Amino acid sequence: MASLIDLRSINRVYEMGGESLYALKNLTLSIDTGSYVAIMGTSGSGKSTLMNIVGCLDRPTSGSYSLDGVDILRCSDDQLAEVRNAKIGFVFQQFNLLASMTAIDNVMLPMVYAGVPKVERYNRAVQVLEQVGLGSRLYHRPNQLSGGQQQRVSIARALANKPSILLADEPTGALDSHTAEDTMHLFNELVSHGITVIVVTHDQDTADHARRIVRMRDGEIVDDTVCS
Amino acid sequence: MGLAELFLIAWQGILSNRLRSSLTVLGIVIGIASVITLMGIGEGAKLEAEKQVQALGVNLIYIRPGSIGTSGVSMGQGTAPTLTYEDVLAIKENCPAAEDVAAQYTSSLQIQAGEKNTLTTVVGTDPSFPDIRNFHTAQGRFFTVQEANDSARVCVVGDGVVEDVFSGASAVGKKLLIRGELFTVVGVMEHKGANATGDQDDQVFIPIQTGYSTLFGLNLVSGRAVKSILVQAKAGEDLQAQFQITNLLRLRHNIQSPDGDDFTIRTQMDILQTAQSITGVFALLLGATASISLLVGGIGIMNIMLVSVTERTREIGIRKAIGAKYRDILMQFVFEAIVLSLTGGIFGILLGLGSAYWVGSLGQWTTVVTPSSVVLSFLVSLAIGLFFGIYPARKAALLDPIVALRSE
Repeated sequence: MASLIDLRSINRVYEMGGESLYALKNLTLSIDTGSYVAIMGTSGSGKSTLMNIVGCLDRPTSGSYSLDGVDILRCSDDQLAEVRNAKIGFVFQQFNLLASMTAIDNVMLPMVYAGVPKVERYNRAVQVLEQVGLGSRLYHRPNQLSGGQQQRVSIARALANKPSILLADEPTGALDSHTAEDTMHLFNELVSHGITVIVVTHDQDTADHARRIVRMRDGEIVDDTVCS
Repeated sequence: MGLAELFLIAWQGILSNRLRSSLTVLGIVIGIASVITLMGIGEGAKLEAEKQVQALGVNLIYIRPGSIGTSGVSMGQGTAPTLTYEDVLAIKENCPAAEDVAAQYTSSLQIQAGEKNTLTTVVGTDPSFPDIRNFHTAQGRFFTVQEANDSARVCVVGDGVVEDVFSGASAVGKKLLIRGELFTVVGVMEHKGANATGDQDDQVFIPIQTGYSTLFGLNLVSGRAVKSILVQAKAGEDLQAQFQITNLLRLRHNIQSPDGDDFTIRTQMDILQTAQSITGVFALLLGATASISLLVGGIGIMNIMLVSVTERTREIGIRKAIGAKYRDILMQFVFEAIVLSLTGGIFGILLGLGSAYWVGSLGQWTTVVTPSSVVLSFLVSLAIGLFFGIYPARKAALLDPIVALRSE
């Protein structure tokens, strides 16, 4: 069976003042459906660039990337937007909720872009918000919620369109250790439901929850361990 | 995404910064309101001018003496007393297309009744004057053909004169001194208001023959000169009448080439066209002035949209990350600009209607707001939103999601 994510010989080169900087160097990585992967590395190791490429926010300079059988390098910007919308859920370090919208509006937004009918949108948003334990906070705005609650709204938003991949960038970076622990448990639960979770982090405790840890340095994978 | 959805997203964006949005809307409100008001004034002026020309009479032809020209230097119309009362009689006699003719000799003279005296315009004319000018007596009567032939010392006064020298009391039957000559008032004209030539109610009408023998004097060169001739053409025959009069006067004045005409002849249609072209320019100028404020309002929208795009770069990044396409972001910001400008347009139309009504009620101007100017304003405000919104919206839609997400 082909992997869900299949990156081959990926280079990501930035031209700066006539010099070529390799953010990713001949990187090959595949991730199967239902795995829980942590990508680790210091800042500048290329893990953010890798996340942007896996998340279809950026295109590699060369190489090939197939996501769920779709050749990402051949996609237009709008097609990439569609892939992000349908297959990938993002969880950002700063949560990135829209401040002017309530929790439920934030969660419904990806479904608005997917063209989901209104009633279905609402029902599904309520369902995912309950799933993350925020059933009683539907109409609160982000500034009326704690950091942990905002994180859970952003996870609910990521889950809204039933993605196959949840992509989390330093998900625990802005949380206290207790809330961070809760978030990791939530991820574990999602994995048990068949969602592929990829966490990008520099924090060992966060990475320890994953079943596979990929370590990066200078744009290359230096270690790839599957935990027991 | 449906229209309702886009509208909702745009509306949320607008509400997120109420003060700034309302100030931007205010720019459009003022622009549209001034377009509506000034176009209303222009349209009113046009209508007023047309009404005044209509009020001159029906099928009216107006003949004035020509200018004295010396080696190409014209001294201006009416500088030569080239039209005489004999011309008037000849037109009456020889132009079958002319229904009726009246001569006019005007002179500014002192009049007096009792203690009061004033300077007014004394008009020597024919008894046919009221019918031709569609300007009738309100009390008493106009002087008769008999009185005109007898050079009777009778006069008809305008209602302004009644105010001035008779203190508003009934003037019919009273005596009036015109430059020391004694006249009897036989009638008072109806109220007519002012037109381009002056206050029509501040006039005294006397038989022109009486005028020649008492007030105006005889010109030794030209005999009984007239200042203008009014002709009422038969219905539908104004062009024939104009043609006949022109030929007759050229024959009588020994004019060989049309360039040497010593008179000018204008039909009511000419006057109407002149009036329309003048008021047309007036309306255009007003409209152009108002459009400038509308343009400034539009630039205000563009400015605020650019600020908004910059401020909301992160929001755009988030929307793109979770699946918004180029078109989604473009439409969001275009719609925001359109909703801003249409809101301004609607309030501007209401304010414009109100202020046009207010200006009209002041009495100085007639204002007419045509439905087409309202529809036009609405469409223009829509177009402004589209035109000034598309550039900022494109800028937003083309943002790189990674760069946008990274921005603070």
